Amino acid sequence: MYNVETDVLIVGGGGAGFRAAIGAREKRTTATLVSKGPLARSGASPMAGADLTVHGRGMRMAGFFGEPRDSEEKFFSDIVHHGCFLNDQRLVEIYVHDGPDRLMETLAWGCKPNFCDERAVFTSGTGIMDAHLRQAKRVGVDLLEDIAILDLFVEDGQVVGALGIDIHTGEFITFHSKAVVLATGGWHKAYTPVTGSKELTGDGVAMAYRAGAAVGNMEFVTFACNVPLWPPIWRGSIVTYVMSMLCGGTLVNGKGERFLEQYDPEVVSTASKTEWNKSFFSNVAAREVRAGKGTPHGGVYYVVGDTPWEVFHANAMRSYPNWQFKGVDFSEMGRMLRDGEGIEVGGAAEYFEGGVCVDESFATAVPGLYAAGECAISLFGANRVAAATMEMLVSGAIAGWAAAEYAQSTTFPAPSSSQVKELQQKVERPLHQTKGPLPGQLRKRLQLEAYEKLGPVRNEEELKVLLGFLTEAQRDELPKLSTTSKGRLYNKEWLESLELENMLLVIELSARSALERTESRGVHYREDHPDTDNDQWLREVVMKEKVGAPAANTRPVKQTSLDLPTGKIPYLEMVKQMMAAHSDVGGHH
Amino acid sequence: MNKTVEVKVYRFDPAVDESGYYQTFEVPLVQGISVMDALDYIYENLDGSLAYYDHAACNQGICRRCLVQIDGKPGLMCQTLVQGNLTVEPLPKFEVVKDLVTKKGSKTDA
Repeated sequence: MYNVETDVLIVGGGGAGFRAAIGAREKRTTATLVSKGPLARSGASPMAGADLTVHGRGMRMAGFFGEPRDSEEKFFSDIVHHGCFLNDQRLVEIYVHDGPDRLMETLAWGCKPNFCDERAVFTSGTGIMDAHLRQAKRVGVDLLEDIAILDLFVEDGQVVGALGIDIHTGEFITFHSKAVVLATGGWHKAYTPVTGSKELTGDGVAMAYRAGAAVGNMEFVTFACNVPLWPPIWRGSIVTYVMSMLCGGTLVNGKGERFLEQYDPEVVSTASKTEWNKSFFSNVAAREVRAGKGTPHGGVYYVVGDTPWEVFHANAMRSYPNWQFKGVDFSEMGRMLRDGEGIEVGGAAEYFEGGVCVDESFATAVPGLYAAGECAISLFGANRVAAATMEMLVSGAIAGWAAAEYAQSTTFPAPSSSQVKELQQKVERPLHQTKGPLPGQLRKRLQLEAYEKLGPVRNEEELKVLLGFLTEAQRDELPKLSTTSKGRLYNKEWLESLELENMLLVIELSARSALERTESRGVHYREDHPDTDNDQWLREVVMKEKVGAPAANTRPVKQTSLDLPTGKIPYLEMVKQMMAAHSDVGGHH
Repeated sequence: MNKTVEVKVYRFDPAVDESGYYQTFEVPLVQGISVMDALDYIYENLDGSLAYYDHAACNQGICRRCLVQIDGKPGLMCQTLVQGNLTVEPLPKFEVVKDLVTKKGSKTDA
């Protein structure tokens, strides 16, 4: 065991964590960033497409084409409409305002733009991460990788550090800090298929909740649409998602029917060309599967459709030379599409709108604790539109600055040795137990249950079955998990058993929120409550621990300049209205 | 009868073993599975003590931390198809942490 002392501890090695750590150094405190995976290759950030979204004028400030008729007000309005008005409008204002600065510094730090549209500069997730890694090294952030942070230390209601383990050696590391910024991303690993990497297990949200913070909007999960489900080696790739936007094509169900024709053609057309695609196509594909019209592996078929093959192929070759996508060969997919064989596709968990409740400085209600990026409650409300890569940089910078300012004003209480010891004993339990359930198998069951019952389409009955499963798993299995190997070196089962506590908890919070919200809005669709109810539900569901169990409350959304809609209307009618309210600015967002 | 393949894996736990050895597992051959899928099958169903770098793996060929020797050649576990019997070993010239996990699986170019 060893100790690390730092002013600001940043938990998470994606874009939000890196920008927060740089932010803390800009305020001249010491900063230690702990990454669960490889530096600058951890979390969802390096996997992103990726675009950095700013309003057209901001684009022009940064020297790009940009849409001259665009404004902060229009971008703000479009984000709030996309979010079906569940957005914290204060945070949206910050996003719109700070975006150009974050874009320009990212480019100045060496990220290369590829191309742009009216409101976005397209680059790569790895390009954004490399630029921030270089800057973090330049400004003297202490960087640690392959270390999992397991829980926060709280003394007198104040966060004073965290317990970590070195995943390779199994050694404990006690971090002692004046402030902590959580930037741990989503909980992709609780689902399958997913588009994010495997270390995303909801650690930050779970730790914040256990430390007494509130979490909100947990029912909202964005599923990337048209993601391959089969063969296994393609599962979770965004190759067909990107292809469906760039090359066209359509969807047919397992019975060979073109089911998109039953929906409003305007909605289908807008969804095909914009970021509305994720919520709409994942939703309608899941409805086909639930109606018993799915493919053998639980999806629908992506086919070339009416597009002539020559046109489809030419478009594909422009973006996928020789069917290569991100260094992977998809020529077999090209052959299948040419020969009229459909690719089995469906929704894959991609982005979690819910997270730790924060104020405008990305501070939680627990002194010393901040949250940024995907693990904080999203400014995108009920449906993410503009880039999460920009969200992570905007929120990361502010959280880093705020945490550093807080650290400068506070004393340095050390975590008590009894607290450290107690936590270590709890963490070591799976190593000492025998004959318990195996962590890998419980995780697999959780993934299947979550995807089936907390996917794009939900209902009360299934959510209650899911909660029953979670309660039993938490009560009967989690405390008894045991590892096959009792050694500490890269013990996968040990880490998984610790992650399972967090994954079971965040899925529980998400399922409880989904049950609470008796309406459909954004990416939350209840087939037993298929209307969007603006009179009752322009409220956030917020969960907080109360005597050992989550207690749900609701609170009104935070509104600044945009008036909230009223009335109760069918879900797809609401979607259509939100689409129609889009400003005159073109492009993907 | 479902077809199976033999997956021969290098094992070495420096805390217990004096030297490395090989262990062979029988894995159902599902068409289109990757080497990572085969190891996941072993880990979940046959031997939970098997170590391979996946706690932060992206599964899409981007993070490159699942680089190992597959049948004597370097390859990403998540992007290599299983087509028949195979041997998986840690990258040569890297210190083994445990089994297939080495001290540094890949280097970023930053």
